[in-house]
Amino acid sequence: MSDLIAVEHVGKQYQTSSGPVEALHDVSLAVGAGEFCTVIGPSGCGKSTLLGMLGGLVAADSGRVLVDGRPVTAPDPRRVATVFQEAGLFPWRTALENVEFGLEVQGVPRERRRAVATELLGPLGLRDFGAKYPRELSGGMRQRVAIGRALAIDTQIILMDEPFGALDEQTRLLMGEWLLDIWRRTRKTVVFVTHSLHEALALSTRVVVMTARPGRIKSVLELPMPYPRAMESPEMAALRARLWGEIRDESRRAMGER
Amino acid sequence: MSAETLRVRVLQAASVLALFAAWEGVARAGWVDPLFVPAPSAVARAFGRIGGSALAGLGDTLLKTAVAYVLSVVFGVAFGVAIGSVRALREVLSPFVVAVYGMPKILVLPWIVLILGFGTAPAIVYGTIHGFFPILVLVIGGVRDVDRTLVTVARAFGASTWQLYWKVLLPAIVPTVLAGMRLGIVFCLLGVLIVEMFAGVRGMGHVMGSLANGFQAPELFAATALVSAASIAIVLALDTLNDRLSHWRG
Amino acid sequence: MRVLALRAAILAAFLLAWEGTARAANPLLYVPPSAALPALARLLTLDSYPDLVPSLLLTLREIAIAYGLAIAAGLGCGAALGLNRVIGRAYAPILGALYAVPAVVWYPSLMLFFGLDAASKIAFGFLLGFFPITLAVLAGIRQVNPHMLAVARAFGARPPTVFVKVMIPAMMFTLVGGLRTGLALSVIGVIVGEVLGSKSGMGSLINHAYGLFRTADYVALVLVTLALVVGSDAIASAVEGRAQRWSE
Repeated sequence: MSDLIAVEHVGKQYQTSSGPVEALHDVSLAVGAGEFCTVIGPSGCGKSTLLGMLGGLVAADSGRVLVDGRPVTAPDPRRVATVFQEAGLFPWRTALENVEFGLEVQGVPRERRRAVATELLGPLGLRDFGAKYPRELSGGMRQRVAIGRALAIDTQIILMDEPFGALDEQTRLLMGEWLLDIWRRTRKTVVFVTHSLHEALALSTRVVVMTARPGRIKSVLELPMPYPRAMESPEMAALRARLWGEIRDESRRAMGER
Repeated sequence: MSAETLRVRVLQAASVLALFAAWEGVARAGWVDPLFVPAPSAVARAFGRIGGSALAGLGDTLLKTAVAYVLSVVFGVAFGVAIGSVRALREVLSPFVVAVYGMPKILVLPWIVLILGFGTAPAIVYGTIHGFFPILVLVIGGVRDVDRTLVTVARAFGASTWQLYWKVLLPAIVPTVLAGMRLGIVFCLLGVLIVEMFAGVRGMGHVMGSLANGFQAPELFAATALVSAASIAIVLALDTLNDRLSHWRG
Repeated sequence: MRVLALRAAILAAFLLAWEGTARAANPLLYVPPSAALPALARLLTLDSYPDLVPSLLLTLREIAIAYGLAIAAGLGCGAALGLNRVIGRAYAPILGALYAVPAVVWYPSLMLFFGLDAASKIAFGFLLGFFPITLAVLAGIRQVNPHMLAVARAFGARPPTVFVKVMIPAMMFTLVGGLRTGLALSVIGVIVGEVLGSKSGMGSLINHAYGLFRTADYVALVLVTLALVVGSDAIASAVEGRAQRWSE
């Protein structure tokens, strides 16, 4: 498996009112095509910053980020699509029009993008909701529209920054299953940021654990198990214990910082 | 209609009727000088007398207001978007905008009249100035308050600067622009009327000023009622338009 | 720091441009800063207008009375509308409709009734200030969280106590905003009234200078009046800051 995404010794500092803060320190990471790579870590560990760098929205102070062999300097909607925690739907556009947005920006003609978006509504579970406005949709539905918007531009890579963070637990679980289904069908490469241990273990082929600020890669767990995962099995339970062990200290450090 | 709504309507109708009845009664009993407080019946008759000239005056005023309104909306939105969307401009210019906005514009009116003379030009210029600033301030605020996430999303999907303005910023500020337009019409009309009262030869402001000087109370009240009704009608129309266009906001 | 420097530069550029164009076009009409400053000096030494001080005091007095009346009536009406649901629902829309009418339409009637003296200016200033205060009191009362009131009553508080100890602090922010707007509008009302026709006060001096084409003196008078306006708003702003700290 070739490395589709390569992060090489990346560092990032932010200027705050109380002085400079180091968000990322010497982070290196590689993600192969077709992987579902989860980045997990305590609050403030820089995982969103890292994702922002992959998406071309944040510039690294040191090191570089390569996608498909090319350095990332700006958002590249032909290769990378992003889903944010706040769905970020345009309230004046219907669900369908929101899904179309990426295609519209790229100048795809009206009929074609309408067709692509309409076809996506089925797998999104929103077939009857295309004409609804965001305010008429539930949180879970809005995130599905946001994911649909990312799927519509048919990129090889999809970045997701805690997309289910604002949802209640039951919706989260359902959305996770649904996302897994979509991923397995479309075979895209997903980089998924989350707080949730369950999501990391249920969804990913690889879990990257980050330290508390300044963020470094603490460890990488490979999860070659088949899908769907039997979360109650002894194997998964052991992995879960191990993962929590890795994260727990970092979380405590992050909490203590505050 | 709920019981409470019924009570509300009854109260409204009863108050208005009672007010007019008391007014008519007081006027007829001679408790007030009819020179200053005419009876409603006298005012009603006065409508007939001044009808023609009042409507002509109103038409003139509304025409000038319309021109001033278009100008203030176009400039207000254009400058508002320009200043609001460029952070550097906004920070540097903010105090100037606020200062000029807070200044009573009437202080420059005599000067405008000295330069432009009497008549239509100063009315349109002053009306535009009056409506421009509230719209400008409102639009700057609206642009500044556009949800950052929407801009980030657009950039993530590769939107160019032009696309950002056209597909994100402008649709996002539609409610603000509508609010500004709703505010602007009253300010423009106000400005035009003030100029007509100060240095007008035509228009409702001038008509009302002359009636006041001539102590023609019934006619003045009639004219006042006419302008008020027109103003309320215009604002109501704009509000309805506003509601129609905001269906997605809920 | 850079921002301040830029603003100073813009101001300087503006004044320079004014000086240049005014001199080139018609210095008498356009009054460049170099003509305005000496006129201001003449004004402040009571040279050009000896009755500057009485005029200023009169205008201030008109504002004070107009605003005082506006507060009294505004608080009363706002409370009546806000505390009684039926009255509020009945009369608030009527008030809103009247607010949609440009206030200056009332002025000729006021002039007819009160004449050209201070009374008509006070009446007009009162009218302008009354609306924002009433609407602010109404809005303030309406936005008080009913849960807070329920909690207070659950602890046995009587209506007057509830009003003073819960409602007033909860609506302080909206109320003070309305009071500040009311002051600004009362000031404008008085000034507009004076400019449109009066025998005394700052507005009449302005009219006098304008009528005699004494443009430089006119500019000086405008500057002094502006100082009055800015000063009153600054005081209001300071009081607003105090009130906010007190209510927290």
